[in-house]
Amino acid sequence: MAGSALRAWRRLVRGDDQATRRGSQRAARPRGRVSFARSAETSSTIFLILRRMRAPLIVLIAIFAVSVLGLTLIPGRDEAGQTTRMGFFDAFYFMSYTATTIGYGEIPQPFTGAQRLWVMATIYLTVVGWAYAIGSLLTLLQDRAFRHALGLQRFTRTVARLREPFLLIVGYGQTGQLLGRSLDALGRRFVVLDVSGERVDMLDVDPYHADVPGLAADAGDPRALTVAGLEHPRCEGVLALTDDDEVNLVVAMTAALLRPNLPVIARTASPAIERRMRAFGSPAVVNPFDRFGDHLRLALRSPASYRLMSWLEDGPGARLPDGGRPPAGGRWVVCGYGRFGKMLAADLRAEGLQVVVIDPRADAAPGPEVLVGDASEPAVMARAELGDAVGFVAGTDNDTTNLSLIAAARSLNPALFVASRQNRPTSAPLFAAMKVDRLLVPTETVAREIYAQLSTPLLWRFLRDMPARGDDWAAAMIERLTRHCGHRLGALWKIALTSGDAPALEPYVRAGEATVGDLLRSPDNRDRPIAAVPLLLQRGAENILGPDDDVTLAPGDQILFAGRPWAHRSLLDTMSHHAAGEYVLTGRTVPSGWLWQRVTGRMPRNR
Amino acid sequence: MSLEKVIFGFFVLLAATLNFGFFIGDMSDPSLHNVYELFAAVVVSLIATVLKFGDRTQIGAVHLATSLVADLQLIAAALVWAYATQISSGGMDGAEMASVVSLSGGALLANLVSVVLLVIETVSFHRR
Repeated sequence: MAGSALRAWRRLVRGDDQATRRGSQRAARPRGRVSFARSAETSSTIFLILRRMRAPLIVLIAIFAVSVLGLTLIPGRDEAGQTTRMGFFDAFYFMSYTATTIGYGEIPQPFTGAQRLWVMATIYLTVVGWAYAIGSLLTLLQDRAFRHALGLQRFTRTVARLREPFLLIVGYGQTGQLLGRSLDALGRRFVVLDVSGERVDMLDVDPYHADVPGLAADAGDPRALTVAGLEHPRCEGVLALTDDDEVNLVVAMTAALLRPNLPVIARTASPAIERRMRAFGSPAVVNPFDRFGDHLRLALRSPASYRLMSWLEDGPGARLPDGGRPPAGGRWVVCGYGRFGKMLAADLRAEGLQVVVIDPRADAAPGPEVLVGDASEPAVMARAELGDAVGFVAGTDNDTTNLSLIAAARSLNPALFVASRQNRPTSAPLFAAMKVDRLLVPTETVAREIYAQLSTPLLWRFLRDMPARGDDWAAAMIERLTRHCGHRLGALWKIALTSGDAPALEPYVRAGEATVGDLLRSPDNRDRPIAAVPLLLQRGAENILGPDDDVTLAPGDQILFAGRPWAHRSLLDTMSHHAAGEYVLTGRTVPSGWLWQRVTGRMPRNR
Repeated sequence: MSLEKVIFGFFVLLAATLNFGFFIGDMSDPSLHNVYELFAAVVVSLIATVLKFGDRTQIGAVHLATSLVADLQLIAAALVWAYATQISSGGMDGAEMASVVSLSGGALLANLVSVVLLVIETVSFHRR
């Protein structure tokens, strides 16, 4: 209330009412964006509540007025026995302490019988009046609509006060929570919007470093998105992560229409929705089923590329995954021909594999390769002839079914390569115990993909372009990484060869005398390399994957490294310390202090 | 005809008429200004204020503002009256009475604005 009063005061002082203010806001936006009146919803509820307090307040005023008036009209008697009337002042004083149940006694003189009769009636009246008024007030405070209005107002204020760039996460399910934790660890701010109040309440319990404002509202409503900061100048991106494709589409659409240049990342499991999303602007669409199919194809075609990709995607600290490859030739059996099954079967067929599909619904896709029937029945399973199949996919949307299908398939053919889809996070230990060869967890896939895009965009570019380089290149890169960093992935970091970030290297880079190999020399002993591998060099629009040592550096280059944390520190020394940079690049040792540089006459060239 | 409008108009008008009744007469003559009338004016004005709660329109906001002004003036008048009769040694003299009445005169102005607003609202309603 204080905030709105202050705003109202400012409006008054500036001499413009709300209508003209909204008009000027719209005029100030050159791109003709549509704006929603932010507080309309909040204020209407508060007005409703004010309205509801009318009756109790009027009853209270009326009871007081009647009681006071009665007291002044009824004759009393003073000490001398004269008839006297109580004044308004005394009557109001008496009623005030009587009505509030304080009760100081009869003033100024003891009452007469008639006065007492009246006071008796008024006591009961006023107590009822007070109880009614206070009761109504307390009921209002407990009122859902009122609390919601207050919460919305607080949320709106918090979002409006954000001064750092923030992301708008729509949908705080498993994906949203996974991503929220990783983003928080990176120090990024975000605002959460979810349709379920329970999930938003979980924000209070989750151990975040930063304060995360959350709103329980329907994300399909553009006003809710606006309240959650879609039009906030500091909003740097929208993530549509709900499990409802339709809602994600609406979010992507709303963001594209209201903030045309805002990056949008949307999750969907349907190619049709993906096409409709792309009709509005250029959102980054993440389809977990599609990604799983792509990964499986990559694993079939070039196992080393897949191995490198999953290692880097797992993030710092991950162990190098095993080099097992799915069987490249033979027959695959896919159970469940929904969106996932269809996409996967198409991917496998595109790799030239023979695919047999089992689905209980006859209308799924009739054809010689589709067996209609319940896969859990032994007769149906037998028709699939698992004995000579090489791969088995349990792709239904029910975890229990998937697990029992895997068990049944393995009993028929223990050598099968088994891929499965895990739908609920609670099933994770069961799938781990089954030792499935490839597991799709849609929520984790989406979270990992989006994290890679947001945290280190260079890594995402690397992962996107890397499969095109072929299997041998990937194997060589894995070999290079393990030689320098061991079997556990170290840190990933990015450097930029700008005058601000790398002042010590600037003259050499500008003269074209520095190469990638020079950067990798240790500042302690330049004949020894530091434990870091350059993954990607970005120069303008050009990306050089795994740049060789003899690639010449240019100003403005950005390089993504993987390696040990202390290698990162060495590299920072080389970049920022003039003497260290001079030594690493040329082998000359120059004093780092001003005095000794003057005394010895050896000045660093990069000063 | 809406009963709500009748009650609303009744209280707004009654607040103005009671106020006028108290105000009229020689300012400094206590015998011309009935304290019961002041009491009634305060009570009716308070009720009119509460009736104006929760109206979101622009005219509703001005309505509420005028009522709040009238309340403030009338309560100030009542306080002056209480001071004069209870605390002041001189009792209710001409000067005290004049200030009570002039305060209620300010309230009367606010109440008149309220009535004008009511009339404007009614007229514009018919035009629509």
